[in-house]
Amino acid sequence: MKEFFEASTVLNNKYVQQWKKDGKKVVGYTCSYVPDEIFHSAGILPFRIRGFGAADTTIGDTYFGPFICSLPKCMLQLAGEGKFNFLDGAIITPGCDSMRRLDECWRKAGGDIEGAIPPFFFHYGVPHKYSDYTIKWLTDETQRLIKALEEHFNVKITDAELKKSIKLYNHSRELLDRFEALRTPDAPPFSGEEALAVILSGTTMPREEYNTLLEKFISNAEKSPGIKSRVRLMLVGSANDDVELVKVIEGEKALVVADNLCFGSRFYSDRVEEEGDPVSALCKRYLGHNDCPRMYGDYRRRLNILTQKVEKAKIDGVILQNIRFCDLHGAENGLFEKDLEAKGIPCMRLEREYGPLVETGRMKMRVDAFIERIQQRRAAA
Amino acid sequence: MRKETREYNFDWMMWNAFSAATRLKSGTEKEYQTILKYTPNFKGVISAILGTGEPGEKFIGICAKYLENLVLAKERGKKTAITTFCFSPAIFYAMDIMPICLEVLSVMMAFTYKRGTSEFLDYCNEVGFTETSCSSQRGSIGAYLAGIGADVDMFVTDTPGVCDTNANAFSFASAYLKKPFFQLDFPPDLTGERSNEYHREDFKALIRFLEEQTGKKLDYDRLRGHLLEVAKQDELIAELEDLARIIPSPVPVPYNLMIYASRFLFAGMPECTGVLESMLKVARENAAKKISALSGGVEKLRAFFCYIDHYAQNLQFWQMLDKNGICYQGNILSHFWSHNAPHVAHYHKEDAAYIIDTKSPEALIDSVGMINSRMPMVKSIRGPYDAPNMWLEDTLGLAKIYSADFIVYNGTPGCRNTWGMVKLLARDTEKAGYPTYIMYADAFDVRVQSWEATEERFMEFLKVRRLV
Repeated sequence: MKEFFEASTVLNNKYVQQWKKDGKKVVGYTCSYVPDEIFHSAGILPFRIRGFGAADTTIGDTYFGPFICSLPKCMLQLAGEGKFNFLDGAIITPGCDSMRRLDECWRKAGGDIEGAIPPFFFHYGVPHKYSDYTIKWLTDETQRLIKALEEHFNVKITDAELKKSIKLYNHSRELLDRFEALRTPDAPPFSGEEALAVILSGTTMPREEYNTLLEKFISNAEKSPGIKSRVRLMLVGSANDDVELVKVIEGEKALVVADNLCFGSRFYSDRVEEEGDPVSALCKRYLGHNDCPRMYGDYRRRLNILTQKVEKAKIDGVILQNIRFCDLHGAENGLFEKDLEAKGIPCMRLEREYGPLVETGRMKMRVDAFIERIQQRRAAA
Repeated sequence: MRKETREYNFDWMMWNAFSAATRLKSGTEKEYQTILKYTPNFKGVISAILGTGEPGEKFIGICAKYLENLVLAKERGKKTAITTFCFSPAIFYAMDIMPICLEVLSVMMAFTYKRGTSEFLDYCNEVGFTETSCSSQRGSIGAYLAGIGADVDMFVTDTPGVCDTNANAFSFASAYLKKPFFQLDFPPDLTGERSNEYHREDFKALIRFLEEQTGKKLDYDRLRGHLLEVAKQDELIAELEDLARIIPSPVPVPYNLMIYASRFLFAGMPECTGVLESMLKVARENAAKKISALSGGVEKLRAFFCYIDHYAQNLQFWQMLDKNGICYQGNILSHFWSHNAPHVAHYHKEDAAYIIDTKSPEALIDSVGMINSRMPMVKSIRGPYDAPNMWLEDTLGLAKIYSADFIVYNGTPGCRNTWGMVKLLARDTEKAGYPTYIMYADAFDVRVQSWEATEERFMEFLKVRRLV
């Protein structure tokens, strides 16, 4: 577990350091719509860029306006402070409006602060809906990314290498499914905080080593007696890469046993087709099975997925959280609350800031009240 | 929401108010002045628009007509689609669908109601929509969510890839009301074969969706007629824009609002053409006399707004500019991107503009797709602000061609997209020599910052930068 905590709570962790010592490249990306397999097949370490550890947003606020989500501001802060100096490249996507403007803000900060921007910088245009022509667009866009990577890093990304990477990542997804299944029994072998550390590590360390560690972790966890008599919660909504947030939510009375987060289970759901054109297969999986509200008009499908997860993981209550100014998750949380409560599933909406957990007292009090509500409901039943 | 607000449908009430306003000038001046006393909350906007003479009367007339069409759509056997200002309504009219343009309704209500749209803004939050979302949609969608608007059949937006909070309002409302939803999505690039193909395929998918919803096939002859009318309107707007380049400008301050509102409501319809023709007649006369259209007769400054206007009650924003001798050179909404627009020709930006070609069904679809992909906002803020054909280039180009002395940003706190890059834009426009002011007000909600405070800060900027 220590390995996972280190990989998930230290940006330039020992795996990244070793990777760089070996003379290999690291490319960061900001959104779960970017296929890791592309980088892996080129011998580049894909690294999910985070804002974790930013103590303030003075640099972020210099470039972004005031009504912007604090996650990209924290990312820019860290970049400006040189915390991402280990990155050889960065990929920005239009995941949401706040995040896509990181493109310009980072570029401008790069002009003002020496070394703030990595030498390879790429805007990866991801459509907002799934259809034959949007897949075609994304396939062309991915080919453009491949070409740019090949030229900049002097590498060759072949179909054969891509297929090998797809196989490796699919294996990882299988392991993560097994890992998730361990959270469903009445006494899960690990906490939600630990679970998030395990999942996050997959975005910050080499995949081969991650799979090995994950297999070991699963074998050990299967023998664990488990954590009993806790209220079972599910965490839904905006991006969360902070294990401490989950710790605050869980406290002594609850356990987060499922999630629907882009840093969580959304990241590894489904598989990439291993036959046929690998680029097209990647695009189909990443655009089609990544259940973010940025894919407009697809609410019912996402509600179904959520409801199934609630049933499968025997959830007592759902925490619908969003970072302030994250309207996509904030609004969808409003819909989820209405529909899940109508099905008798207790929900709590929680708006928060990303970054240093300065409001833990308020959050803790609200979560405790929610847990009390669930316990009273259980007692009444 | 107050109980009284739920008594009548909000669009029905606005129809009645605007419809009564169309008859105000039919009596004597004394009768008109007497009636104004009985409309304390409405008289400011009425005076400001009717004060522009025949164009204003025609403009009020088409607003009333639009609201009548909306309220009576079902009785007349038409489907209704809730849509957005940056979606050209020509395709809806061609398919006999009544477009319900949320932002224009929000503006109408903000202008005319004592409490503005506040109750509807807040109602959205009551049912789960975020308070940080854009007020331009919330202002009127709240009424439809509350069930006090005309019946809605579908939601159609074209802001994915352009504006999250706009697209999200449509997505939320369609899920909440369980109505069909369609989005036109835009890639970050405006031009090039990949983007053109994407626009084309997406528009074809839209037509399939509309055909499915209406049960009718698209009538290409009818579409051709509407597009030819759009082309006619483009010619009129191009001449108005050309006249606006003259110093002093012969184009009255409220015309920009009237141009874009008419287009958003009735693009491709004779109603819009009538207002434009009437405005052009006045502007030509002023130009012939070489007079400024400002009420004081002296043009002191020229302002370009790089985003949107401020819709405080009674057109106070336009009145403020007019009384201070500031010639208003439009905003991102009032400049369209037809191939014959002065700014297109002047900067040789033909590839970023649209041309209407009505020769074949394919050409018609391409044309209407091109128009939509170049609508205000859709064109300029889809990609990085400093990329070719995007916000910075458009802002500097328009500010220069219309001889602006300064640039102003105004929007809503809900505009995640522009707030993500406006500081960078302002930095660049300042470097280019344009004093640039970022307003922190909400264009649709004076509870965020009162109009009085907004006006004071605006004037303070002019003083500090020694523009006045």
